[in-house]
Amino acid sequence: MTSTYDDLVGILTRLHDTPADLIRPEATLGALDVDSLTTVEISIRIERDLGVTVGDDELQPGLTLGDIAALVDARRATTV
Amino acid sequence: MPSNAPRPSAPAAVLCGLAGWVPPRVVTNDELAERLETDDTWIRTRTGIRRRHIAEPGQATSDLAVEAGRLALRSALTSAGGGSGHRPGRGSADAVIVTTTTPDRPCPATAPLVAARLGLGGAAAFDVGAVCTGFVYGLATAAGLIASRVAERVLLIGADVYSTIVDPLDRANAIIFGDGAGAVVLRAGHPDEPGAVGHFDLGSDGANEDLIMVAAGGSRRPSTAGSGQGSDGGFRHGSADGSRHGFDGGEPTRAERHFAMRGKEVYRHAVTRMAASARATLDRAGRKTDDVDHFVPHQANLRILHSVADDLDLPRERCVANVDSVGNTGAASIPLALADAAARGRIRAGDRLLLTAFGGGLTWGSCLLTWPPLLTHPQPERSTP
Repeated sequence: MTSTYDDLVGILTRLHDTPADLIRPEATLGALDVDSLTTVEISIRIERDLGVTVGDDELQPGLTLGDIAALVDARRATTV
Repeated sequence: MPSNAPRPSAPAAVLCGLAGWVPPRVVTNDELAERLETDDTWIRTRTGIRRRHIAEPGQATSDLAVEAGRLALRSALTSAGGGSGHRPGRGSADAVIVTTTTPDRPCPATAPLVAARLGLGGAAAFDVGAVCTGFVYGLATAAGLIASRVAERVLLIGADVYSTIVDPLDRANAIIFGDGAGAVVLRAGHPDEPGAVGHFDLGSDGANEDLIMVAAGGSRRPSTAGSGQGSDGGFRHGSADGSRHGFDGGEPTRAERHFAMRGKEVYRHAVTRMAASARATLDRAGRKTDDVDHFVPHQANLRILHSVADDLDLPRERCVANVDSVGNTGAASIPLALADAAARGRIRAGDRLLLTAFGGGLTWGSCLLTWPPLLTHPQPERSTP
């Protein structure tokens, strides 16, 4: 996977309620039991650490970590 | 930006007494799970909270404030550097500030009653309302009273009984909030001595007042439809101004009578505002995050605390947290966290502390100080932790 995915894993592993052993590219936010406040936290940290805006309302339960990494890369490409 | 440090000629407010007090009754996550659709693991992983203290029915904010205030005055009396030779004496105060979201009554303020019950009748006494930022706003207010020589010793008490405004069946908020009081004594001193509170950042954003509120019970939405003047009294519910705020003149609903918070938006504002306020304060003091020995944030939720610490590049170990044992106690949270950390010997004289809070309003604020030598007195009948 891309380095963006690794950055995303770095973000998730610093959160309290994300089980590290389940973190894989194909894991969905729903499968990781990510709650609504955690989507806000992920959104804040993507903006803070990766420099692109992904709203918490975009982080739907069916999205995989690979999908989110691709979304971040796509946003980066359009903002450069 | 200009420095807001006190002028050298003005006395600084110096911390010289500290105490916390929580009601003896402990409510565990398991007890909450008996009436709410939740469980201990869910609450702990989402909030970091294991238990909270809840007041007995009829126990009001002033009751908690008096207990914390009495212990803080005793701390000031016995601590080194508590000042002497001044009027009022070391175990007294000539101004009392209570900061709370849950005053005993809509009118009058709670502070005069607290002052009287502490034997400080005649002292200046008033309330400060800034919701969970109240303690930092209160510190700035106390510093102003001392700098302007209106007062020499100020007793500042943050006290809240959130159990009186949180719906016990509201899962989102009932798991978070607890009741408690924390108090400090500030005396006139020198800006360079340990305990001097000198650098502040305060701010607000009233455009987002609806993110945290109790909708009814104030002049915008009286607690009962009949509490305003009727059609023959000159005032009418549902006026042009009132209708803009969604007021239809009917009885307030159960939800309107209780505390409400829009969690996701509050979370985002809390993290970004607290981090920005902490940075602004450090900038004004010419300090960096490496200079901070202990970060003492409003104890809202462990995730928010850690997110702010991460944003500031502060190791989480430097974040003082007792939210696990008391929950979010509103205006009491920072002094309760300080009292807990001091009692455990975690913070010591000479350590540099950064206090940062966020609350309804929206409001936020931060303050830097170097910890003074203090003796604290534990709550006598406290059953936990």
